Amino acid sequence: MGVDAAIVKLRRGDPDALATLMARYQNRIYRYLLRLVRQPADAEDLFQQTWLRVAEKIRSFDTSRNFDAWLFTLARNLALDHLRRKRPTSLDGPSSGDSSGDTMASRLPSPGPGPFEQLLAGERAGRLAVALESLPLSYREVVTLRFEEEMKIEEIALVLATPVATVKSRLYRSLAQLRQILGTSAGGEVRA
Amino acid sequence: MSRLDEHAEIREQMPLFVAGALEADALSRVALHLATCADCSAELERWQLITGGLRRLPTPQPPAALFERTRALAVARLAEHRDDRRNRTALVLLILFSWAVTLAGWPIFRLATGGLLSLLDVNFRQTWLLFVVFSVGTWLAGGSAAVLLSLRRQREGRLA
Repeated sequence: MGVDAAIVKLRRGDPDALATLMARYQNRIYRYLLRLVRQPADAEDLFQQTWLRVAEKIRSFDTSRNFDAWLFTLARNLALDHLRRKRPTSLDGPSSGDSSGDTMASRLPSPGPGPFEQLLAGERAGRLAVALESLPLSYREVVTLRFEEEMKIEEIALVLATPVATVKSRLYRSLAQLRQILGTSAGGEVRA
Repeated sequence: MSRLDEHAEIREQMPLFVAGALEADALSRVALHLATCADCSAELERWQLITGGLRRLPTPQPPAALFERTRALAVARLAEHRDDRRNRTALVLLILFSWAVTLAGWPIFRLATGGLLSLLDVNFRQTWLLFVVFSVGTWLAGGSAAVLLSLRRQREGRLA
């Protein structure tokens, strides 16, 4: 069943179509929310709220429009509301809520086939994830939408409700800042 | 433009180049330059390390229980909304039906109270006054029945 068929069925109230869409998007939505709020418990709560909102609002979704952008906009709005309710410092501050010093990035599963490659790749990915986590929210979200969700610039502009030029400007600055962070931590050499 | 300026301009555009965010003309200019410039190509590789790394970041998985819990809640919410829509449709139909009954009942009411001929009564004020009294009485009876039914449903909901 294609996404469009699932959406049409969901609009008619079909619970199986909801399960199909959830299965298809669950990892992407969870990852996006986790990148925004940084705390797994908050991301889980927002993940649940997002799908409840989908169940409520799906009939107002225009099927001729981009479902991905609609879904990510719902998730983003909920995440921003959540972050606004919390202290402003939590928006862009370092990851907190874990006294062990364990960061969200270090809790991510490590990839890579061989032990040595796994170690190297894990170290690089860990450093990059930490660097990504340290970016301000507006930079973090464009980076994750562009490089992890593989969204087009125009789609990102739809999700963020900002002009394409703003998306490009944020992408530029976020990559420059990432390079600066990684370059600084690696003694002036970029080793992502 | 001097060769030095060109390097600077190309390097300035590199973050957007690796992000796939350059317009077609700027894209081809950067690509042309890179084909002949080893230094800028090396610089490009440094940017690609970052973007490639971002693309390969491990995808965090939501806990398995979260999916099932969320699905159950969302399905219940979906059913709630479906019931709400049905109830709204039923209410609209009920209102239309009530109006139809009110209008259709009027001649019967007149027949029972004043005879069929009085339907043709040109005493407009009296006719409309009776119609208003009849309509208000009907709607009050209908409204009271709806409130009683709603209270009963709430009580049943609390007991369930």
